[in-house]
Amino acid sequence: MSTLLTHIAVSDGKIKRASLEVLSRMTQLAEANGHSSEAVIIDANASDHVDEVQKYGASKIYTIEDAIFKNHQNTPLLKALSKVMDEADPFVFGFGSTESTKDILGALAANTDAAVLSDVSEFELTDNGIEVTRPVMAAKILSDNKATGDNILVSVRSGSYDLNESPTEAEVVDIDFSFDESELKATLREIIGASGDKIDLTEAETIVAAGRGAKDDEGQELIEELASVLNAALGASRALTEAGIMDPSLQIGQTGKVVSPQLYIAVGISGAIQHVAGMANSKVIVAINKDPDAPIFDIADYGIVGDLYKVLPPFIEELKKIKS
Amino acid sequence: MKFYVCIKQVPDVDAPIQIKEGNLIQDTDRMVLNAYDASAVEEALVLTEEHGGEVEVVLVGPEKAKETIRKALAMGADKATHITTDNDVDYDSAVYAKVLATFFEDKEYDVISCGKQSQDTDAGLAGSMLAQHLDLPYATNAVGLSMEEDKLVVKRQGDAGQEIIGLPQPCLVTCSNDMNEPRIPSLKGIMQSKRKPMETIALSDMNLDEAALSAKTKVTGYMEKPEREPGQKFEGEPDELAQKVATLLDEEENVI
Ligand SMILES: Cc1cc2nc3c(=O)[nH]c(=O)nc-3n(C[C@H](O)[C@H](O)[C@H](O)COP(=O)(O)OP(=O)(O)OC[C@H]3O[C@@H](n4cnc5c(N)ncnc54)[C@H](O)[C@@H]3O)c2cc1C
Ligand SMILES: Nc1ncnc2c1ncn2[C@@H]1O[C@H](COP(=O)(O)O)[C@@H](O)[C@H]1O
Repeated sequence: MSTLLTHIAVSDGKIKRASLEVLSRMTQLAEANGHSSEAVIIDANASDHVDEVQKYGASKIYTIEDAIFKNHQNTPLLKALSKVMDEADPFVFGFGSTESTKDILGALAANTDAAVLSDVSEFELTDNGIEVTRPVMAAKILSDNKATGDNILVSVRSGSYDLNESPTEAEVVDIDFSFDESELKATLREIIGASGDKIDLTEAETIVAAGRGAKDDEGQELIEELASVLNAALGASRALTEAGIMDPSLQIGQTGKVVSPQLYIAVGISGAIQHVAGMANSKVIVAINKDPDAPIFDIADYGIVGDLYKVLPPFIEELKKIKS
Repeated sequence: MKFYVCIKQVPDVDAPIQIKEGNLIQDTDRMVLNAYDASAVEEALVLTEEHGGEVEVVLVGPEKAKETIRKALAMGADKATHITTDNDVDYDSAVYAKVLATFFEDKEYDVISCGKQSQDTDAGLAGSMLAQHLDLPYATNAVGLSMEEDKLVVKRQGDAGQEIIGLPQPCLVTCSNDMNEPRIPSLKGIMQSKRKPMETIALSDMNLDEAALSAKTKVTGYMEKPEREPGQKFEGEPDELAQKVATLLDEEENVI
């Protein structure tokens, strides 16, 4: 019997859904293969989250609690993760593919001599490792990969697996951890633009995303109104984040975030492969674009060919009626 | 100030792709400088233009990759090292990081910069692996860099906001393409690039052991992505279109 370990990422006092998706998958694989599904929570208030994690089938939960984890910093996180790997000796160690994970995954693999596959959309166990599917070439195609070894790290794109509750009574193991701030060579000075009440794009059910077509004030007001009517998260193409019109954390795509909402409305976005790389797994895609040949229409379930300034006002009115 | 920028040659993701019996085939064999590395080169050039210093690029790859090194030199990098490999190696990020770490062992530098990921594989691993091997403080996914006495100040895009991080030198940073617009080499730059120093080291001369060069991960094949069903496209009066689509989203899709 081996250990399948899942890292539970916490931000702003909330567990990232991506982590629970990985844990759900790990628990399923553990049951099917006679392994044990375990989890580790590393946070300033790690123990607060044990109950929630138990719901997804972890039979053992490691907690590492320290004030240093209030904000993401790679050195202490790496130290904590290396320590839990020593303790739990996981055959596979899974992560939700968040920006904080991307910051440390390679370093952790180098530190522990583990094989690593990042940003996978599916993974399976084999006798001596894992087999995964990863989107490559700006997510135009998929590649099959395998990793072999006794310790394998894998990070999983958000939305790849459904949440699956299978409550257990977990053994909780608090790992002793201390971090002397003087060990920190890099110093985190400031965090700009983070606000706890923003809807996390990677977890949003509905997303209204704006592109260059909606770059002026009137366009911005319209998309904000549309998002507010639908209680949607706002997203953006690179054209708008680059121009400083929308917040950089809202960028969706190869460089930005990968999202998988139930409904994605692309307004004035052409549908470049690098944008599509981040949103092609949305359940329903609506595109509003005045160019009938815009590539976004190739992947949209509902395409509206038209000027967004003319289409959005009646569209918003219609949605308000439906909502009321 | 000495900047090293690690650059990689990658297939052009915009060129058409076919998959035949699990193999990836591109009609044009067009290879390009990884876009994220182009941003790393650009930023190193801007910082050394401002604060003085030298930019050297390092690439691990086959002979053909020389054209990518020339591109970086034409942009303005001062010199280059080419660590040459065979044509059809199946190295993963970990192997490249190991090779680069061995190269850097006896080098002096203030900053090593990498791209945040390879544009073709989106792995995003080699940078932080290299930092770990060299025991350097590092930051990934930089969207802005500035110098401050002996510190590199990095603005990195985190999950929710931008983190401002001070890194004591020597340090390593991985760059996002959201940081800048890489310059297009001028004719003069292209001419000058031919005379710039380029050192070539054969990987086989680097004394790396078998274990370092055998990848723990392998690509076993390629597949088409399941296509999305073609949807409906509506043209006509905005009012009617708006009403029609809103109703479909509500009644057919149940997503409102
Ligand atoms: C390595 C790399 C990574 C990248 N990563 C990302 C990424 O993460 N995310 C991302 O988005 N991009 C990314 N890009 C950039 C990408 O290639 C495109 O340049 C970008 O997505 C274009 O944004 P856009 O669709 O808003 O703008 P454009 O391509 O300019 O499209 C604007 C669209 O708006 C339409 N339009 C204009 N006016 C109206 C109107 N009044 N009504 C209706 N429609 C209108 C036009 O017909 C057009 O289709 C990346 C590029 C590279 C090279
Ligand atoms: N063969 C290579 N030669 C030089 N640098 C490389 C090489 N492979 C990876 N890198 C660096 O590591 C970054 C990406 O790593 P990865 O996404 O893990 O492939 C690139 O942007 C480069 O800066």
